[in-house]
This record gives sequence, structure tokens and C-alpha cells, in this order.
Amino acid sequence: MVSGCLAKVVFSDAKHNFLIHYLAAVLLLLAAPIVFGFSGLDERMAAMPMEMISPVIGMILMTPVFMPEQNESIYDVVKSKKTSHTLVCFLRIILSAAITALLVSALALYMRSSDSQVTARLFVSTLGSALALGALGTFFAAVGDNAVIGYMVSVSYLVMDLFMRTKLKKFDLFTFTDGGTKVNPWLFAAAAVLVLAALIWRKYRK
Amino acid sequence: MLFLKECKKVARSLTFWIYCIILALMFFTNYYSDVRYGESRPSAYEQDYGTKVVEDPDLIMDGAINSLMGEFASNRYICYPFGFYKAVSLKDNDRNEVEKLIQELTGTDHEGISEFMDEAQVNYVEHALSTYPEYVFNTMIVDKNVSYERFKEIMGEIDDILGGGSLYAVDSLAFNFSRVPMTYEEALKEYEDSITADTMTGALSRLFCDYTGIDLALIPVFVAAAFTAADRRRRMTELVYSRKISSLRLTFTRYAALVTTMFIPVLITMIIAAVQASVVYSGEELKMHLMFTTPTFWLLPEIMVVTAVGMLVTEIFSAGVAVAVQGVWAFISLMSGSNELYGDITKFGLMCRHNTLYHRSAFMETYNDFVFNRIFYMILALVLVCAAAFIYNLKRGGRFNGIRLFGKGGILRRKA
Repeated sequence: MVSGCLAKVVFSDAKHNFLIHYLAAVLLLLAAPIVFGFSGLDERMAAMPMEMISPVIGMILMTPVFMPEQNESIYDVVKSKKTSHTLVCFLRIILSAAITALLVSALALYMRSSDSQVTARLFVSTLGSALALGALGTFFAAVGDNAVIGYMVSVSYLVMDLFMRTKLKKFDLFTFTDGGTKVNPWLFAAAAVLVLAALIWRKYRK
Repeated sequence: MLFLKECKKVARSLTFWIYCIILALMFFTNYYSDVRYGESRPSAYEQDYGTKVVEDPDLIMDGAINSLMGEFASNRYICYPFGFYKAVSLKDNDRNEVEKLIQELTGTDHEGISEFMDEAQVNYVEHALSTYPEYVFNTMIVDKNVSYERFKEIMGEIDDILGGGSLYAVDSLAFNFSRVPMTYEEALKEYEDSITADTMTGALSRLFCDYTGIDLALIPVFVAAAFTAADRRRRMTELVYSRKISSLRLTFTRYAALVTTMFIPVLITMIIAAVQASVVYSGEELKMHLMFTTPTFWLLPEIMVVTAVGMLVTEIFSAGVAVAVQGVWAFISLMSGSNELYGDITKFGLMCRHNTLYHRSAFMETYNDFVFNRIFYMILALVLVCAAAFIYNLKRGGRFNGIRLFGKGGILRRKA
């Protein structure tokens, strides 16, 4: 019963508040062939479009999870309800992460069908980059109570990474593009910690 | 005074402090670390002085025709339409078009082209999951009846067929096919032209502007969009609407506060850069004012126009749409620049690029475009702010409520 209620809340949320973000992410994916070539790429060359597009998808989908309650009047109403707001936000994050994974998989499959060498380790590593950048946006959106702040920090991190690359060491989003050959677990760990921190911040803020 | 109050509001916002941190990080990791050590005069005993790009029609035509034949035979053309690698394979119609143009270039017919391909050296290259034939041509030449002007026209047509960003883009022909080694005398002249003409600070200020200009093409929009949307978020809209002040005055005061406050961190980085220059090049003659005048004229219009876009789009749509619009504009501007990162200045490009301490002559060649560009963006920024004031006035009078995609009154909201 409770889970059914939560599912309804999340479904309604997705329909009314996040549809535009889903559309933006799909649009980005569809527009990607204009900018990148996807055919006949070896693993390192394939990493460039994968590691460039996927973090942006993660950022678009995961940053706005607290946006519906940015308006203080709405937040006051939501807080007065019986359903845990933190739980709803957590489910939104899971949904956004799942859609991110789905879109990254679609990109990987399309590239594989175009004769590119998208290996399992590249796919998993890319997913880590997408979740890490998305979680960074989620965290700063929670702290600043404004999705614009979340986007500002995550976009800036992406641009900074483009210039600094391996100087960011374990937190470089372009692991395979920069010559790495192993999945970077630090990105998954960072994503988990940032999401958890964002939820805790939201729960205990004044 | 309202202006100072608005400046304080901007300075107390979280977005402004994040803006300062990003600006500082980018400044110290890029510009500051790049120019830590002084540039020295080339020595007569070096083995390599680098290469230079010259427009030598013979070199360009020879290089381009051999490269084009190789890519045509493999039907695999390497392009960088937005700065990213893209291998283009043409369909039959386009392939026939390219073949006709190659026939004109080489003065042969279809059979002649086939013969050339049969005689070419073929290497089979393993790439990703497949093996591709790579045709190598070294002895192709352009027909004597084809002038250099006609050759460039044909290259332009081929680049259009390939979707742009190919090796045959007219602006990139010299860069791709006509690079020659520099001699000691040339390297010395390049050094003296760049450094001596307006002292080292002229070169440093251009590099400073190049790096900082990349940040300023995007991040001011976040501060402007969040600031413009703040009234609505804090439920202050009606209160502000009821005040006596005119919409034009209020919008311009807020705009001036945003631009002034966001320029202060840029000014601080200019001061740090000037101090660094005076330390690294102590004892040399330096025109220190260039460390302030060039960046102000180069960067202020960029802050102005990006802030104006942020305010206008936020008034019409929302902060998120403003960020998306500016993000796309900044990305296109950054990635559609030419291969050379110096003297890459056009009349209407948002970013002016000159990522080197050298090649002053390339910068001076585009100087008129540079001046036009910066004045154009200053005027455009003021026009956009006027438009933002007009929209604000409409909202204030209840004649317009902004365009919403979703939520209450959203144009994409499903009606019950």
C-alpha cells in the first residue's frame, strides 16, 4: 500500500516536474551524432564520445531532483505530509540514475552496432563518470537549495576536467580517454557519498 | 543607494562565491602556471625552432590532392566538425559528386581515377572491430589548368559535402598541408615581433584574456539567472512590483550591479597577473597598463552580453532555460573555432581566441574585427537589457507572466 503510494508520487513527479529534463537528455543523445563520429572507433577513441556525453546526461537528470520544492511555499506543504520527503527524494534519485544508465546503455549499444569497440569496462567506467557528475550537481543543488547552483558547479567541474584531465587523478571523469584501462571505483564511491550527503543535508536543514 | 544595495545582494549570493572560486581555480591552474617562467630569446644553437604555417599554393595543392585521393579511395574522411573526431563515409550520390570534383582537379575521367586507385599502395589497418583498407597516394598532382582560386573553391565544395570540419576546409588548408620548419632567424623575428613591439605585457595580457574569456563565456549566466529569479523564489515579486521605481531603472540598476560585482574578481586576477609579470620579467621594460586595458576591453563586453542573455531569458522563461541557451552558445563558440588557437577572432564570435604569447602579427591582422566584435557585443548587451526591462514591465503590469513549459500555466502541461 505504502509502496504503491510512493510509486504514484514518483510517477506523478516524473510526469509533471522532470519530463522536460528527460526530453533534454534524449535530445542531447539524438543530437550527439552531429558532433561526434560513432563508427569504427577503437576503445580509446570510443571513450571520447562516451565519456563526454554520459556525464552531461547524468548532470541533466540528477541535478534537479530537489527542484519541485525549491519554492518555499511548496516545501512547507510537502514537509507537513505524512510521506517522508527524504524517501521521495531518494526514489527520484534512483529513478534519475536508472534513466541515466538506460540512456548510456542506448548510446553504448548504438556505438557497438556502428562497429565501435565499446567494452564492458568502458561502459561501467562511463556510468561511474555520469553518476559522479550527476551526484555532484545533486549535492550542490541541495546545499544551495537551487538547481542552478547544482548545474553551475557540475558544468564548471566538467569544463575544469577538460583542461586539467589527469591532474584531477582519481576524480578525472575521462578515465579511458586519458589512457586508463580499468574501471575507476572512486567515481562510484564519490557518487554514493555525494547523494547520501545531499539527502542528509536536506533532511536536517533548518 | 539602490545600486550599492543590489551589489551587496549579488556579493552575498552563493552563486557569486562559486563564480569567484571557479575563476580563481581556472586562473591559477591555466594562465598562472603557464607563465611562471619567463620566455627567453631563441638561441642560435637549438636544433628545432618549431614550424610555421605559410600559404604556399604548390605545397597545399600537392598535400591536399594526395590526402583527398586516399580518403576518397577508402571512403573514410576524417573530420572535426565541432573539434571532436568524426569519420565520415559518403553515400553514392555524394561520393559521385566528390569524384567529379577530383576529376576536375586531376584532369582525368572515371577510368583514370580507377587506374590511380588500382596503382595505389594499400595498407590494411586494424581499427576497432574491423580492418579498413588505407590507400596511400604520394605522386598525385593537380592539373596545371586548375588555378589556385578554383582549387580552393573545389575544396570548399568538398568540405560542404563532408559536413564541415574536414581537412579541406578552405580556412584550414594552409594549417593542414603547408607547414614548414622555422629557421633561427625566423624564430628570432617571431620572438621580437611578439615581445618587443608592445613589450612582454602585451603578449601576457592576450594570453590572460584567452583563458579567462573561456570561463566568462558561460559562468556569469548562472549568477545572472539565479539573481534574476531570486524575487520569485523569495516570494518578493509582488512587493517589488508595487514600488515606485521604473522597470527600466530597476532592471538597469540590477544589471549594472551584476556586471560591476562580477568584474571585480576579474580585476583581482588582472592585478595578480600584473604583479606576476613584474616579478618574472623584473629588469625588463614593461608597459604595465596593457595588463589592465586589454583585458577590460576584451572581457567586459563578454560579461555584459552573457549577463544580459541570462537576465532576458530568465525573465521570459526561467533560470534553467537561460543556462541551457548560454551553455549551447558557449559550447558552439568554443568548439567551432579554427585549428589555430591564435588570431582566431571573427566579427561575431563570442570568444576571441589567442592562446599563445607569440604570433602578435596574427592578432594584429584581425585587430579591426576584434574591435568591431567587442563594440558589437557591448551594444547588443544594452539592447538585450532594454528587452529584459520591457518584459519585466509587461510582467509587472500583469500583461505577461513569462512562458512556462510545465507547472501552473505551463504550455506543455496536460489539461485535466
